Amino acid sequence: MSAVMSKPEVAVRGLVEMQDVSVQFKVKGSAVNAVDSVSIHVQPGEFVSLIGPSGCGKSSLLNVAAGFVQPSAGEARLDGVRIKEPGADRGVVFQQYSLFPWMTVRKNVEFGMKIQGVSSTARETRARTLLGLAGLLHFENHYPDQLSGGMKQRVGIVRALSTSPQVLLMDEPFGALDSQTRVVMQEILTNMWQRLRISVLFITHDIDEAIFLSDRIYVMTARPGRVKSEIVVPLPRPRTPEMTATPEFAAMVQTIKGLIREESLAAMGGELKEGGLAGLSVEMGPQGVEGAIE
Amino acid sequence: MRAASLLDASHDRMAYLSNTPNPLARPAESLDAPDASTTVASLDRVKYQAASESGAGAETTGMALLVAFVRARLTGWIMAVISIGSVLLAWHLATHYRLDFYVRFGNIPSPGDVFEKVIEVNQSTTFITNIGISVRRILYGFAIAGVLGIGLGLLIGRYRWFRQISMPALEVFRPIPAIAWVPMSIMLWPSNEVSIVFITFLGAFFPILLNSIHGVEAIDPVLLRAARSLGAREHTLLFEVVLPAALPHIFTGLAVGMGVAWVSLIAAEMISGQFGIGYFTWEAYSLISYPEIALGMITIGILGLLCSSAIRLTSRLAMPWQASASPGERS
Repeated sequence: MSAVMSKPEVAVRGLVEMQDVSVQFKVKGSAVNAVDSVSIHVQPGEFVSLIGPSGCGKSSLLNVAAGFVQPSAGEARLDGVRIKEPGADRGVVFQQYSLFPWMTVRKNVEFGMKIQGVSSTARETRARTLLGLAGLLHFENHYPDQLSGGMKQRVGIVRALSTSPQVLLMDEPFGALDSQTRVVMQEILTNMWQRLRISVLFITHDIDEAIFLSDRIYVMTARPGRVKSEIVVPLPRPRTPEMTATPEFAAMVQTIKGLIREESLAAMGGELKEGGLAGLSVEMGPQGVEGAIE
Repeated sequence: MRAASLLDASHDRMAYLSNTPNPLARPAESLDAPDASTTVASLDRVKYQAASESGAGAETTGMALLVAFVRARLTGWIMAVISIGSVLLAWHLATHYRLDFYVRFGNIPSPGDVFEKVIEVNQSTTFITNIGISVRRILYGFAIAGVLGIGLGLLIGRYRWFRQISMPALEVFRPIPAIAWVPMSIMLWPSNEVSIVFITFLGAFFPILLNSIHGVEAIDPVLLRAARSLGAREHTLLFEVVLPAALPHIFTGLAVGMGVAWVSLIAAEMISGQFGIGYFTWEAYSLISYPEIALGMITIGILGLLCSSAIRLTSRLAMPWQASASPGERS
């Protein structure tokens, strides 16, 4: 661990800026605002999380950064260049398993490099190095269907890193995993990040996860999504699992929980009113709603 | 299929018994792995040693595996012999006692008659030539249907404008059975041979086309997004993502198409043909040569079986990632 600390590679590129980004969707002919004028940024080499109640448009924001979705207003830039379409300069890790089932683990990792025109020996070397970093070298010739969920997601992260992107965009990557695997994955991710020092924009609904991994957290409002508050995580690097047991950590969890609860209540209230059941929100009380924070 | 599941089961058992890490796996893995990966590796290992090919106890269980494998295979063969043997026996008894209860076996040739016929027809080259001609028609018709069906299927499935321009016309032709094309086909094409290949092609084309289209439509969009975020452009997407992702459906189409191709071919040969196994069978009826009818039918059955086996084999080779076990099966 200390060996890693002694040589932090400071990333010079990977500045993500989103300026007054709005995203609209057409639902049954009428436009719905998913994201409303959001301005966020990720500094080079910074780990930033977006957290908020379900349906707050956090994934839409990530899709704008990835180039899958065009903002209806505002713009997203990577190192000053406007993002127009998907590209290998931004690695994306999806919540669903997105490995190509017809390729072995290593071929999956080599896919992007092949498009970049990297020679087959160089591809193999880099793929094996990255897979080793994620503890997956042993499985390089397996097909994705032969792997567990956590392993698939680790391959997904490795594949996203394979093209040497400026930034890693992660859309609830551990959302489909059980809680034990999730904790281990967070540890692996923070270790990999410690080595690579790549910019990361991380979407999650898990408060502990956001705090454990991030340098900075944006808490979003209910739909339409806006930035409610920005929280700097003062925990030292590298992060260790023990830190999650500190009172400092618990206090941060409480703060963010409170912020999200407000939003969830607001969202629930809105939904209930729409459904003509506004009275119900009073009976439920704050505890009852806690489960609703996704 | 049985053998494969037996293999899996014993691998699982090995994995749960040995808690010691795979000695062969260790050095390779720790090459670059940071601390956290070792913790997770031990989590994964218990479950995934099953997947590792080099087990520590391979030698002791190897023999047991072999025995299990042979036993499973042997059971399969015995079952197959019983299955086919009982049909032959029933046929023999029915013709021997000239059964007549609504179904009339009076004029039906016995298995023995047919077997004698096999020897007789093989004394000249006519029979084998007929088979060769039918197989050639199938190969041509099916190959053209495969290329066009998969090609158009990819284009229709992937590009809306292409679908809009081509599907309405194709939908008009689709319900017309290939056999209904026989008179038109004879007028349309310069030779009888080409028209029969055309009928065969038509039979195979639509199943292949529709399944290919469906294969493209059924692709998980996240795969396309992942490929695009890795820098893939349209050309790469089409040939390295869309095509392989659609392969399972494409092979379903090929298997169905092969069946319909034979149906269409035999019908066409019976109606308009010269030569071919369908013509052979129909001619036998005209000449009141009953054993030859049965021989023709059995030959068609065997040829069809060989063709679908060939497709199944190709699909297994083309899609090594597909698990061969059938989860719906109960042993």
